Amino acid sequence: MNRSVFAAAFAWQSHAVLGRHVRVHLRKWHTALLPPVCEPLIMLLAFGVGLGSQMAALTWNGAPIGYLTYLAPGILAYTAFMTAFFQSLFSAYIRMHFQKSWEGQLTTMVRLDHVVWGEALWAASMATAYAGMVCLVLCGFGAIGWLDLHWWWLPVVLPLLFLTALAFSAVGLLFTSIIPSMDHMGLPFFLVIMPIGFASSTYFPLPDLPVLSQVVLLNPLHHLAEGLRFLLIAGTPTWHLAAGAGLCVVLLAVLMPIDMRLLRRRVFGDG
Amino acid sequence: MTTTDTPSTPVAVANLLDARGLVKSLGGKRVVDGVDLSCGPGEVLGLLGPNGAGKTTSLRMCYGFLRPDAGTIRIAGHDLVTEADAARRCLGVCTQDDTFDADFSVRGNLEQAGRYYRPRIPDLGRRIDELLDRFGLAPFADQMPETLSGGYKRRLMIARAVLHRPRVVFLDEPTTGLDPQARMAVWELVAGLRADGMAVVLTTHYMDEAERLSDTLLVLQSGSVRAKGPATQVLGDVVGEHIVVLPAGEARVAAWLAARGATPSTVLGTWHLPLDAAGLAAFVAAFPDLRYEVRAPTLDDLFMALAEERTP
Repeated sequence: MNRSVFAAAFAWQSHAVLGRHVRVHLRKWHTALLPPVCEPLIMLLAFGVGLGSQMAALTWNGAPIGYLTYLAPGILAYTAFMTAFFQSLFSAYIRMHFQKSWEGQLTTMVRLDHVVWGEALWAASMATAYAGMVCLVLCGFGAIGWLDLHWWWLPVVLPLLFLTALAFSAVGLLFTSIIPSMDHMGLPFFLVIMPIGFASSTYFPLPDLPVLSQVVLLNPLHHLAEGLRFLLIAGTPTWHLAAGAGLCVVLLAVLMPIDMRLLRRRVFGDG
Repeated sequence: MTTTDTPSTPVAVANLLDARGLVKSLGGKRVVDGVDLSCGPGEVLGLLGPNGAGKTTSLRMCYGFLRPDAGTIRIAGHDLVTEADAARRCLGVCTQDDTFDADFSVRGNLEQAGRYYRPRIPDLGRRIDELLDRFGLAPFADQMPETLSGGYKRRLMIARAVLHRPRVVFLDEPTTGLDPQARMAVWELVAGLRADGMAVVLTTHYMDEAERLSDTLLVLQSGSVRAKGPATQVLGDVVGEHIVVLPAGEARVAAWLAARGATPSTVLGTWHLPLDAAGLAAFVAAFPDLRYEVRAPTLDDLFMALAEERTP
């Protein structure tokens, strides 16, 4: 059962569904381009430059560091996480429930496994593309001398960002399968986005509390943010990257079969 | 998985749809219980039954939305479970709801649907042009589907269902909510699909539609097949050969019916009595002075008879 769930990710039908989403998105590229460019730009300017200028230097890895430098890898990780979750929750729910485009696809050779994998792959692809945009914005900050990172690592981290996004799209699809209506869309934000986002070292260093330092070890976003930070600021790959990747694989392995089962029940009333 | 770009050779089978012993329980309740469905090339099978009879569940099993608890489904000779891709390549589905892709134009919908088939549809562009012309959609090809009228939306749904030249087409209430002109336009399209040699499986609540379009009617009740055959045969089996219509409340007739253990259907103050030839002869002999109308049974009578069978 599980093997066939994961085999569907590589089926041509899943890629046809992914192609459909890419095709729709590319037609709206001029408006679709604004969020991934503007959001990190605003966040880096408002928090990194604005708030950062009001703060004393942070201590990270035993050395003082400017807030903009601390924030840059965090925003990269947060973009992958947030974009994937948002796509697989809101957009997938709208396509499933309101547009009924899932049902249209299911009348062809595409089966539910393919539709779900198409959604997950699209959410991860879009998140990776958005993260790529963030990389370009960071390069812009570097070009004017506001940021100094180990730039050659940027292209290398994109596959890891894709894996992270794929894992969080599985989390988003879990909520797509269980939320009763659009009115309940706020719940995943309180239950998932805020706890994971705040306990992740993306926007600020976590306080040194014994319990919290143990809990964040289970947060793949924390490992991704810290791993990217070591990589881009210190130029050093650390165990955080492996831990983040491992947790993402576990998330995918556990959640995708559950997603399939719950979505089958939701879409077909069966299972 | 087949990924070549040439279509497979059509398999010659007597029944393009061959479903046997279908059983399905949903929510702990047995919704379909041992249903057989078959439909040959150039045949229209009309699936009828009151709400909750198991029509939609049977159909959803046949086009792969639901997996049967028991039974087998073969589409053009291919098992829907073990040869899923080959079977699905041979079937087309027009669902009851409009499920086109709101992000694409009319033509774009057909182009996108074409990408969901392997082997790929040969000459897809030419096939789309042909369908746009045949279904009267050419003037609206670049419009978004939501701008179409109800009748043209249905045409688009059917065009999408037959884009890949399937051998079995499922049409789930294709004319519900349409005005008479649009309904008749859809009837013409269904007749065209039959002429093309497709096996067409149709569900509808419109009795005239079922009678006019279907070669064979299959009546479901409480998840089982109640009757099957040409419309006249099904009506004769379930309803009777004649319907006597007279004002309700005639005491003599009530007593005569009670003696025979029969109960009339009451519609708007009239009794509708289903009778076979012998029963009609007895009725005429019993009431020589009574004024009444004798008509042929319709599928409306069939539905009423089924409803009364369900009522304890």
